[in-house]
Formats: sequence, structure tokens, C-alpha cells
Amino acid sequence: MALADIDAKRFPVQKHQKYFERHLLILPSKYQDNEPNKLAIVAYSLIGLNILGIDTSKKYQNSKAWLLKHQQCARYDGFSIAGFIPSISIHIEENPSFSLMSTLFGLWCIICLEEDGLDSYHEELDVAGICRFVSKCQSENGSFVSSFDTLASGRILASSIDPTDLRYAYAAVTILYLMGCRNTQDFGRYISVEKLMVFINAQACGSGFGQYGEPHAGLTSCALSILDMLGDQWSTLPSPFFERTIDWLLHRQVSSQGSMTLMTNSNECYDIDDHGGFQGRENKFADTCYCFWCLNSLNILQKRIETKFDRGDILSEYLLEKTQSKLLGGFAKNNENDPDLYHSCLGLAALALNSGEFDGTVFLPKRLSRRIRMEAEVGT
Amino acid sequence: MTETASLFDTGGYNYDDVEPLPISDDQSDGLCQILYDDEYRQVMGIARALFKNQEVSDRALHATAETIELVPAFYTMWNYRFQIVKQLFGTDEAKLNAELDWLDEFTLNNPKNYQIWSYRQALLGIHPNPGFLRELPILQSMIDDDTKNYHVWSYRRWCVNFFQGFEHELPFASALISRDVYNNSAWCHRMFVLKSQFKSRPPADLITTELHYTKAKIELAPQNISSWNYLRGLYSEYLENTFDPEIIAFARSFVADVFELPQTPPQILSSYALEMLAYIYSQDLETFAKARCAYKALANTYDPIRKNFWDFKIRSLKA
Repeated sequence: MALADIDAKRFPVQKHQKYFERHLLILPSKYQDNEPNKLAIVAYSLIGLNILGIDTSKKYQNSKAWLLKHQQCARYDGFSIAGFIPSISIHIEENPSFSLMSTLFGLWCIICLEEDGLDSYHEELDVAGICRFVSKCQSENGSFVSSFDTLASGRILASSIDPTDLRYAYAAVTILYLMGCRNTQDFGRYISVEKLMVFINAQACGSGFGQYGEPHAGLTSCALSILDMLGDQWSTLPSPFFERTIDWLLHRQVSSQGSMTLMTNSNECYDIDDHGGFQGRENKFADTCYCFWCLNSLNILQKRIETKFDRGDILSEYLLEKTQSKLLGGFAKNNENDPDLYHSCLGLAALALNSGEFDGTVFLPKRLSRRIRMEAEVGT
Repeated sequence: MTETASLFDTGGYNYDDVEPLPISDDQSDGLCQILYDDEYRQVMGIARALFKNQEVSDRALHATAETIELVPAFYTMWNYRFQIVKQLFGTDEAKLNAELDWLDEFTLNNPKNYQIWSYRQALLGIHPNPGFLRELPILQSMIDDDTKNYHVWSYRRWCVNFFQGFEHELPFASALISRDVYNNSAWCHRMFVLKSQFKSRPPADLITTELHYTKAKIELAPQNISSWNYLRGLYSEYLENTFDPEIIAFARSFVADVFELPQTPPQILSSYALEMLAYIYSQDLETFAKARCAYKALANTYDPIRKNFWDFKIRSLKA
């Protein structure tokens, strides 16, 4: 069922709309520690609104110029790179804080403000510079940092202190995808796909992906989305691994039936009310955001074998009845917390994945991703 | 700086000559405009002025600490701090230890911060004499606080590899498992240790010990996916995936008389035991009937939420 067809009593669209719109207005000073994540706040709000069917390109059109100011260029050793900085307020011209994450969030925001064509894409984005930036973030072992060392004047050095887990690899590949790369040959102009695949292989656990052998649904979604975007690298991993991963992902859906109730009094992270929700790892509570990460992962794998195993229907039931705030709008992490922006966006994204209206790999509603996917390579 | 009512804690340093770099307020049509308080404006003004001048000094280091405490996600400030530490401290062990002390304190107050663990790894990378012992208290404290914190477990495993220090790891995992037998990270840690410590395979008596240990923990809580996963992992990694009659009898002790096809489904103790049996029986044509029986029982009675998948497994048996 399309989200628009759900009864307003079960799914109060207007309250959700207000919830997201509030985050785009003026925020009190308690949000100031989120300054470096500002583009994430804008992106989650705009994507949330678009999932609700609201065309943000009209209402927020005037903010496009402001968003584009976050795109900055820098020259190093005779060539230039471009990327998004997290915030204009704390920007320092001599030392721009580009990051892969700001760039990805910034691009998502721009896409949400594009009218039918992709005008800004062609006219305002420095596609070649952004691709060169991504290129400079890859480490020798195939993983990615998000930013550069700050005092290495005149030279680009990958940050010595950034984490290099699958999240930044996902950001790198998604940015290149949004810039027009569609297969290994395209991606290979900017990054080493071979090294990236070595890194991804090293993150493969017995089933699923994670660090040091402990599979994690969020990292699994990053890895599978990368494989989906690269398109032609699936055979780098053995096919039984993918069936085991489906098995692992399906087991993340918490159940209140059959033998599962045996855990009721002994497992402190088992809650019978979590029925239908997904957890991020074994023996954890269900969580709204993992509903998205697991379902996205399952969608990618199920599409490949043209079979559907997941019980999306009870997942939607869980989200609507347990983590949705019908009073305030938005979604919470679980059935106890207050709603927050991140889980609100991810909760809606999971519902929209279920109804076939969301493109989980590039994290955009299909209405928006369709334009990107249809674009022939833009840029160089 | 001439203001007297300063909200910036100078920590005893003199910043009088620093012309603050004001944060820009001119944001017409800006979305998500945050109202900054005065402390934020002052701290950002001074720290960013120092950063702009690329100052490498003790007072600049102090200013980064003030900024990071206010805005822990400000990755540029973390990076600036690291560059200062590198240039100012070089390989001075005492000073680098002081930096680790600062980081310990910050970590305790900001357990979910995304920068702390990779920053710590970078510090140990430039430390002349890093030691695992120095890391244990903060690791213990963070795990005590949140026994399944993925970042903390990952950092511990990074340390194990970095220091090649394996001897405390199985007892450490056992202690966490005693506290909560369902702690999946602790179970995963056991397999991580076996795989990292022994390049080919662990000694046979260690595998035997691990099998006994795991079976005892399964007896304690049979419906526990983590311990069953570990048991199956031991077989697939180190025992050629060959399941002897003893382990089959062990698994069957948790599933009552399911395989005798009783009229009404019996109460069983573990669906994960049944899953393992289904898997074992599906490896051999001669036991396909038993595999089918197990998958059917999972689909219809013991794990109906995954019925679509168990039905698929039954279909795969014919292939």
C-alpha cells in the first residue's frame, strides 16, 4: 500500500510534515553542538518531506543558493578539488573543512530542491572537482577517510584521525554514483575499485558485514549498497555468502511467536513488543533505523534472486504502532524514547521501501532518484 | 581580547593578542539556523582565529579542547588538535600520555562520539612506547557502562591486533558472558581471538575446551542465537563442518520428539537447535526427510515469522 493510502488516523501525514519542517526553521542553542551536522539535519528533513509526497523544490527554492555556498573549491599543487563544507558559519576560508559526509548530505539537499530538470547539477556543481575530492579520500587499503589533514599546507594528505569503516566507503561510492558513475569503468576513473573490493571483502563476516567478524546491519547495508551501485562486482564474493547473509538479515526481525518467547524472562534485550521490528545485531532490541538498514539490505539481495522472504507487513505494523509518534509526528528509536530527526527519516524510509516508493541504495524517494538514475553521465 | 565578562575558560593561558574570528551570521535563506549562545561565539571565535593562523602552541591545544567539549562532532578541530600534538609533543612519552589522559576523560563523558576511537588509534600510532595495559581501564569502564557498544569492542580488537596481546581475551569474554550469556559481542570476540591468535588453526585441546564451554552455556540458556552461532562457527571454521553423533545428540536434546512427528507439536527448548539440525540434515541426501521435517516445524510452529525462508529451504532440498 502506498504511504498516501494509509488511513490518516494511523499515519498523520500533516504532523510528520510539521515535524520535519520545524527542523528547517530556527533552532535553539541546544542544537549548536550539531553545527558540523547541519547539512545532515537539512537533508534528513528534506528527504523526509519528499517521502511524504511533498515537493520541496518549490517551497525551499530560495535556499538553493545558500546550500550551494557550501560547495567550495580548493587548489592544491596545480589542480582543484571541490566538496561541501559542513557549515558556513564556522568556515575558515584558508582551510576548508570539506568532508565526504557533508558532500553527500549537501548533494542530497540539492537534489531535493531540483525542479524537473537537473539544472544545478549541470550548471552549479563542480562535478569533476567533486570526483577528484572523492579520489583523494581513498586510502592505500581501499577504505576511505572523510577529510584531509588540516595543517598540511599546499599538500593533500588523507586525515590521520578519521575512522575508515564502511560508512565513508558508502559515502564515496554514492557521491560518485550521483555524479554519474554507473560501472567499474566509470568508478575506476576516480578510485581503485579493486582495492575497494579487497577492503569490502575484509569486512565480510561469516554472514553480513562488520568489523573484526561481528556483523552489523548498518555496515551490511553500506556494503550491499556499494555492490549494488558498482553493479558488476558481485562475483567478488562467493554466492553462498549472500544466502547466509539473507538468512542473517531475516533473523534480525524480532518475533513474539514460537520459541522466541522462551527468552522473555532471561534475555534483558528481548521485548515481546518489538515483534516485527528489526535489530542491528543478535540479541539487541529492535530499532527504527535498523528496520531501514535490514530491509534495504534484504531488498538488494532479494532483487537479485527474484524472491521475497521478508515480512514487510509486520515491519510496517511495528513502525506505525510502536515507534511512530502520532501525537508529535516523527519516529523514535524504539517504543520508549521520544522521536528524533534521524529515526523519523529512517522510519519513513523503511515504510516507503516497503511500499516500493523508496530507492534505498542511493537513499532517495524513487520520484527523485529516477531522474538521477536516468541521467547519462554528467560532467566530464 | 578586551572583554572582561569572558565565557571562554582560558585555562591560565593568555589570549589577549588573539583577534577572534567571528562566526558568520549572514545567512539569508539559510535553513536550520541555529541560535548560538555567547559562550559558543567566544570559544569558536578564539579557536578558529588560532586555527586560521595555524598556531601550534599549548594555548592553541587548550583552545581545541574547549571547542571539542562544546562541539564534539567538529572533526576539523579534532584534526587540528592532532596536528598540534604531533608537532608540539613529538615522541615525548609523558606528554603523549597526558593527551591520552585527556582523551580518557573526554571519552567517559562522550561515549557515543564518533571521533574518539580513531583519534586514540592515531595517538598510539605516534606514541614511542604504547602499551595495551594503559588501554585496559578505559576499555573496561566503557564496556561496564555499555556491554554491547560496537565501537568499544572494535577498538579492543584493534588493540589486540596492534599489541598482539591475546592472553587476557578469552577470560575477558568469559567474564562478560557470565554477566550476560546473551552478549553477542562477547561471543563474537571469542571467534575473533581464535582467528587472530592462530594463523592456521588453534590447538585441538583449545577447540575441545571451547566446545565444552559453549555447550555448558547453551544448557544454561538454550534459546540463545549467539552461543549456537559460535558452536556452528567452531564446526565450520575448525572441524571441517563435520558434525559427529555426539553433537547431533546434544542438539536433539533440546527439540523433544519433533522428529518422531507427534500429533501435536511438542514444547521444545530451542529453535536454534532445530535450525542447526535442519542444516546438518540438509547436507546429506539420506537425511533430507529429517531436514524437511525440521524446516516444516520451524515454519509452522517454532519460528513462523521466517516461514517464507524456511519454505524456500524445503524447496532447495529437492534441487
